[in-house]
Amino acid sequence: MTVPPVAAIPGERSRARRGGRSEDGAPIGSSRLSGYVFVSLYVVLLALFGIAPTAYAIYLSLTKVGGGIAWGSNFTRAFQDFRFLPAFEHVAEYLAIWLIAEATLILVLALMLHSLARRTSAAFRFLFYMPGALAGAASVLVWLFMLDPTLSPWHFLLSILGYAQIDLVLQPSHLPLIFAIMAFWTGAGGWIVVMYGALNNIPDELLEAAKLDGANAFQSALRIKLPLIKKWVVYMLILSFAGGTQLFVEPQLVGQATAGLVSNTWSPNQLAYYIAFINDNFNEAAAISVTLLVLGLVGATLLVWRTKLFEIN
Amino acid sequence: MKLSHFTWRIVGLIVLLGFTAFFFVPVIWVLLATTKTDVQLTSSGPFSLGTLSHFVHAWKALFGFQSDAMVGWLENSAIYSFGGVAIAIIAAIPAGYGLALTQFIGRRTLLAITLVTMIMPATALVLPLFLEMNSVNLTDTPWAVILPFSFFPFGVYLCYIFFSSTIPKDLLSAARVDGCNEWGVFRYVALPLARPVVALVAFFAFVADWNNYYLPFVMIASNSKLPVQVGLEYLISSTEAFNPGNPGTGAQLVQRPELALAILVAIAPVAIVFMFAQRTLVKGMLAGATKE
Amino acid sequence: MATVTFKEASRIYPKTERKAVDRLNLEIGDGEFVVLVGPSGCGKTTSLRMLAGLEPVDEGGIFIGDQNVVGLPPRSRDIAMVFQNYALYPHMNVAENMGFALKMAKLEKSEIVTRVREAAKILDLEEYLERKPGQLSGGQRQRVAMGRAIVRKPQVFLMDEPLSNLDAKLRVSTRTQIAELQSRLGVTTLYVTHDQVEAMTMGDRVAVIKDGVLQQVDVPRALYDAPINSFVAGFIGSPAMNLLDATIVESGVQIGRTLVSLPQSFHQIAGIGPVTVGLRPEALELASDGNGISAIVKLVEELGSEAYIYAQLDDLAGETTVTTPEIVVRVAPTVVVKSGDRITLRVKDDSMLLFDAESGVRIKGR
Repeated sequence: MTVPPVAAIPGERSRARRGGRSEDGAPIGSSRLSGYVFVSLYVVLLALFGIAPTAYAIYLSLTKVGGGIAWGSNFTRAFQDFRFLPAFEHVAEYLAIWLIAEATLILVLALMLHSLARRTSAAFRFLFYMPGALAGAASVLVWLFMLDPTLSPWHFLLSILGYAQIDLVLQPSHLPLIFAIMAFWTGAGGWIVVMYGALNNIPDELLEAAKLDGANAFQSALRIKLPLIKKWVVYMLILSFAGGTQLFVEPQLVGQATAGLVSNTWSPNQLAYYIAFINDNFNEAAAISVTLLVLGLVGATLLVWRTKLFEIN
Repeated sequence: MKLSHFTWRIVGLIVLLGFTAFFFVPVIWVLLATTKTDVQLTSSGPFSLGTLSHFVHAWKALFGFQSDAMVGWLENSAIYSFGGVAIAIIAAIPAGYGLALTQFIGRRTLLAITLVTMIMPATALVLPLFLEMNSVNLTDTPWAVILPFSFFPFGVYLCYIFFSSTIPKDLLSAARVDGCNEWGVFRYVALPLARPVVALVAFFAFVADWNNYYLPFVMIASNSKLPVQVGLEYLISSTEAFNPGNPGTGAQLVQRPELALAILVAIAPVAIVFMFAQRTLVKGMLAGATKE
Repeated sequence: MATVTFKEASRIYPKTERKAVDRLNLEIGDGEFVVLVGPSGCGKTTSLRMLAGLEPVDEGGIFIGDQNVVGLPPRSRDIAMVFQNYALYPHMNVAENMGFALKMAKLEKSEIVTRVREAAKILDLEEYLERKPGQLSGGQRQRVAMGRAIVRKPQVFLMDEPLSNLDAKLRVSTRTQIAELQSRLGVTTLYVTHDQVEAMTMGDRVAVIKDGVLQQVDVPRALYDAPINSFVAGFIGSPAMNLLDATIVESGVQIGRTLVSLPQSFHQIAGIGPVTVGLRPEALELASDGNGISAIVKLVEELGSEAYIYAQLDDLAGETTVTTPEIVVRVAPTVVVKSGDRITLRVKDDSMLLFDAESGVRIKGR
């Protein structure tokens, strides 16, 4: 015989019995152990750079600077900080604008592109999506140029609105809108492409059936396509919400470039950074981090367990 | 009826062209800006083309800034990103395989934690990570950036979806019948088939790492170790137009065309990846719906 | 080669009460071709995978030759398997696919090449050795899967519905090829299918399983002629056997309003009371004298060499639901009947089977 049969090892059988609780044919014996081996490196990374910092942040937020338990005092102090509420208000305003723009404009654009000929829509999608490559610091820089009336290709628009200098454009009350525009500029294209992909996943027969049932383009978009990609819209909104609360680079760089026009504690993350490194109070900073983590966690939990978007089996 | 259909088409086209302008005019402006002088930026029309010599001048000025600082930043970005991506992939492929195709106690819990950490933005963890790195004296070293980068739960999830949806269980059974042990099944069957998902994970990890600003901003103190994203900030603070009458430490000053060029250079690697990766993006973001 | 023996082998899936395979006892002789057949979900594939080592055995034992293989990983069992979807490695070409097991067994390269060539020749795959599975047709893939099994010269072949992904015509021709190949190689084979025609045409013996319980193992002819119960009777044969509710009375069997006489031998055993009557389509014929079971023709299926009449028992003609019991009769193609005709059916001598109305067990006449 080509494969010499291995003599049965005593005890092998009882091991098989214990290890054999699989429904999917994952086989006998070494399977469980090997599972641990395969995930081991990732688990180490998860423990060191996911769980440990989270635990550490929680620990810090509950202790005093010199040591000793602080209970909620770091939180109350952070919440009572005169910069705390404005920072969260800024982010809330920014999120409101950005999320509404996502839920409306991105969907409308994706649906429009989906009704075009494949070639044409591919060209538009490419143009919309490329600015995504300029995420982060680069996009802030680009928009510093775009918003400076003396340079901007949009200067006619800015002058209609009555802004002759960048200081007038970057008024504090404008910032949430401006950051939302930046986010839309870099992020919308990617999401349009993704939503388009989701629309493409709708079987042709379904849309053909709708056509035969008498639906016109609008009705089929509204009553067939939209309900079918609804969960992806929720996915997009929650991811954007969780990410949006973490705003840092945009206000940081705009502040840098405008010599103090923007407060360096404009967003919660900036405030945490400031308290940590300038005030040298990592415990109070940790309280803000934990608050942000909780917000992210709520978003993540909603997404995972409510929308059933992800598969855990 | 026909007329209104026609009207709608026109409206639609105008809307699309409007958004095209919104998305692409800035890109064109930045491209053109690199061919002009700082004065021309304000004096000539925003869509006027400058000259090649101005571009060359901007190039020399940018790369000459503080004795090749820009080259160093790009190198740093490359090291941090490639390091992070490499470790992330080495960890994610077997982990995704283990989660999808083996059974062990805690598998579902690990998957749930992976999902949650993948959706929660990592930014809020940067400060505690800084303290963690500080306690082992790794701050201001490449490891302080690379190691947190290498924890990439989204990549693990993508591998998990890939393995559970594209590799039939019977294929693994066949390998076992053909004489493989568990390692052999992974080595000879799963790993060679994982090539598409490697590209997928590499794309998402690379873009995320290259564009990351906050983590290196906190971890790295030395100018020479900054990645290019943070380097851009340094350039802004040295740009004359943004700091009128405040030359700071008497450092070399940067003109705006050079800054525009810096933007393009800084994002070039991501832009190249983006050009070819539209489909990858869709596939990755829609992963999870594969089996519904 | 070797024998295979299932001894009281059971499989209980976690979190379920019922056994997926319930105390299976089955002996497969050296070189024998046994087919496991049953409706989907009956436990036949589970049984096969237990023998392969891909599914644990919770109780009992499975022997290959004299060795109890329970607990041995698949690689130590010296078996080869053909999977339903073939499970060819998409990243390897045909030759690599077929030689993979030999490579894992650390055979010499030259030996692998020889054996793969040999198998490719038998299966007419020589010109495809460099191709990847993706570039092959369904039939070719099926042959590669076969080749992967035969190059190993294993003790046992396991085949899990290997023909179910082929089109009808190819399935018939491949059926004979596999049976022929098996008898030529003389390798003990356990073959799983849900298709009773496949089972009957291929197996030396056929094992019928239902709900995890083995019903009957026998040669095809015996299964057909002497099914152990009404399930096997109804499962084997196409069109299926007519199973009608009836009552045994003093003078015979009452089917609807018609009284059919019963051989003496039955009468003594069956006693009086409800019973299930089993009549193969060929057990009935059209009665010329108008004496017999009266029915109305619903449909005639002309197959060329023969014809089947689907009719409804006359007693029930008033109720025209789809579920009213129909009766199928095989007739010569020359018989002229059409939908709506009234016919009378006579039961051929000695061709009626009786089953216990409750347990379904066949009541033997002699």
